[in-house]
Amino acid sequence: MDEVEQTEAEQTEVEENEAENFGYDDVPGVTLTDSNAISDFLKKTKVQDVLNWGRKNSLWFTVNAMGCCGVELLSTGMAHYDTDRFGIIPRNSPRHADVLIISGYVTKKYLPALKRVWDQMPSPKWVIAFGDCAISGGPFYESYSTHQNVDEIFPVDVFVPGCPPRCEALIQGFVELQKKIEAKKDRGTEY
Amino acid sequence: MLEEKVGPSEMIVHIGPQHPMLPGPFRLNARLRGETVVDSEVEMGWIHKGIEKILENKTYLQGITIVDRICYLAALSNEEAYVGCVEKLAGIEVPERSQYIRVIVEELSRLQSHLLGMGEYASFVGFVSMFMYTIKEREDVLSLLDSITGARITHSFLRFGGVKDDIPPGFRDDVKRVFPNVRKAIDSYEDMYSTDSIYRARTVDVGVLTADVAKDLGVSGPPLRATGVPFDIRKDEPYLVYEDLDFKVCTETAGDVYARIQVRLDEMRESMYIIEQCLDQMPEGPLFAEDTPYGKRSPVMRIPAGEVYHRVEDPRGEMGFYMVSDGSDKPYRVKIRGPVYPTLQTLPPLLKGVKVADIVAIAGSMDTCTSEVDR
Amino acid sequence: MDANTIIDSLSGQFPDDIYDTDVESGIRILAKVKPENVVEVCRYLKEDLSFDHLGCEFGVDYPDRNEIEVVYLISSYDHPVVLTLKAILPRDNPEIESVVPVYWNANWYERETYELFGVKYINHPDLRQLVLPEEMLGEWPLRKDYKGFPNKTAKNLV
Ligand code: SF4
Repeated sequence: MDEVEQTEAEQTEVEENEAENFGYDDVPGVTLTDSNAISDFLKKTKVQDVLNWGRKNSLWFTVNAMGCCGVELLSTGMAHYDTDRFGIIPRNSPRHADVLIISGYVTKKYLPALKRVWDQMPSPKWVIAFGDCAISGGPFYESYSTHQNVDEIFPVDVFVPGCPPRCEALIQGFVELQKKIEAKKDRGTEY
Repeated sequence: MLEEKVGPSEMIVHIGPQHPMLPGPFRLNARLRGETVVDSEVEMGWIHKGIEKILENKTYLQGITIVDRICYLAALSNEEAYVGCVEKLAGIEVPERSQYIRVIVEELSRLQSHLLGMGEYASFVGFVSMFMYTIKEREDVLSLLDSITGARITHSFLRFGGVKDDIPPGFRDDVKRVFPNVRKAIDSYEDMYSTDSIYRARTVDVGVLTADVAKDLGVSGPPLRATGVPFDIRKDEPYLVYEDLDFKVCTETAGDVYARIQVRLDEMRESMYIIEQCLDQMPEGPLFAEDTPYGKRSPVMRIPAGEVYHRVEDPRGEMGFYMVSDGSDKPYRVKIRGPVYPTLQTLPPLLKGVKVADIVAIAGSMDTCTSEVDR
Repeated sequence: MDANTIIDSLSGQFPDDIYDTDVESGIRILAKVKPENVVEVCRYLKEDLSFDHLGCEFGVDYPDRNEIEVVYLISSYDHPVVLTLKAILPRDNPEIESVVPVYWNANWYERETYELFGVKYINHPDLRQLVLPEEMLGEWPLRKDYKGFPNKTAKNLV
């Protein structure tokens, strides 16, 4: 009895494995590991430093102007401040972006949309809370329709205080983010 | 509701709230038949922050900081409307020098708002480099504004009975240095707009608003003036020293997208002309009337009970505050009447029958500031 | 057209509906209107007195008088007079006829007054919430006795 049960269990296991590796097992010379294993391995090596060096120098951000701070966000991306020289480029599509900048008040109605933008961004991705509203609620801290404590919802890496912060402050925020990524202390990459 | 009316071979496209081609978060639900918009509706409130409720719970002086945030591109006009209300209720006199300074900062703010609005709009119709140009000029204008008020976007500059600061020494020289460049830039924008045939094809006779319809829909500001109605609060109900200044109300007659942009270009020239006049005519004198408590440190002031409606000309049209005071140190009720509110409502009728690609051109040319609609 | 003629003509036309008129200055006049006839009054204002621009429409809450005022700010593209027209409604069951048939842009103003104050507009083409999320409908946040303000959830304040 026992034997029979065991073989049955083995069989199902084998079947499952086959189903998983379907299409690969007939290719000679292929070792199967999943991609997580590779990245876990890489994280322990110097390769991660090289990757981070690349990532920190191409922080593309989404342009979602949400409040007054959004206007400063627009100005930052333009020719006068020329953030392109740091590899910081405004992108209209969240699919192209690495950094979500929460630039203003997050209302109860807007939060689902913002979460959706965040979900659409490919990882690794970072969040910058830009302006007092995104940090603590700003002048609208007692309002009935805004969300305070946005940092509990998004993994914020850098806070840029000000109402609105000047464009230079945002660039400083990016520099801080770069330093964090280089030191492997950021929350966007999972170490 | 839009969903109930969808016919065969029609579909609904939701544009927004986060969409690069919308000037601020709002959602446009368009019912399409092929490429043509059959019907549409606008959903608002994505950045509603309850400013009216907050103002009821702040003292009058604290309120100045909050009203800045109603529309971040016209912060000074908002302040003027708010401060004007309180001044009317309490019967506060503003010395002439302060009035001139107010006109200067408000016109500078109009200038920067139009520059940004135009650039944003240009990028919507596929003219992205224009955005770069206008922002470049805007930075110069902002630095002028910065040198007076100490801030770029949210100024908190006006006070009851005066202004926070005098214009700094050297401001006249800065103006002399910056304005010729801005004038040249505006001329070159106009050149580009009027000669580029692709641009003209996208804007001339697109989104036409006639004068009667515009009046019916309650529009004000540049979209109305582009239809030929010379409605401008600065002329019709002069506040500050606009009576003593020489300027013309810029109008066009076509009422299409092209005309709306043309009106803004002309208005920017007028604004600069007004500022130069102010600098010439400005009398010397104190910023606050002497022998009054205004301008001193007095966080609590009680305003006599009453109701008042004060309206000013915002870069986008008629901006008005209705204030009810019950004699305490906080306003009882403040209603903010923003110019974009009716303008945004005109989108559904205007978009009927246009192609999808024209939606952004029309919406952009209205220069909508969503923050002010939602408040 | 000056303020006094407007007031005279208005109260001459609607002696029963218009009361408490006042001329504050040459460009500001005030009148109260019985809620039942607000549409006729508005139509008269628009067609005969060229008040063709509805500036705004909003509510003011007076809990101690147990009233909600609906205020119409009506002005014109041709003359600078602004008329403040008020209709006084009971606070428990505020209901008033919609003026959308006369002033098209009242649509959003009425939706907003509905969701913030709970004023019901009869014959409104599409009365639903405008700026609030749907689940907040029924809280009437701009009434004076609203409990959700101030919101005390902010943690990062200094
Ligand atoms: S932090 Fe200040 S400037 Fe920025 S969105 Fe909030 S209120 Fe506006």
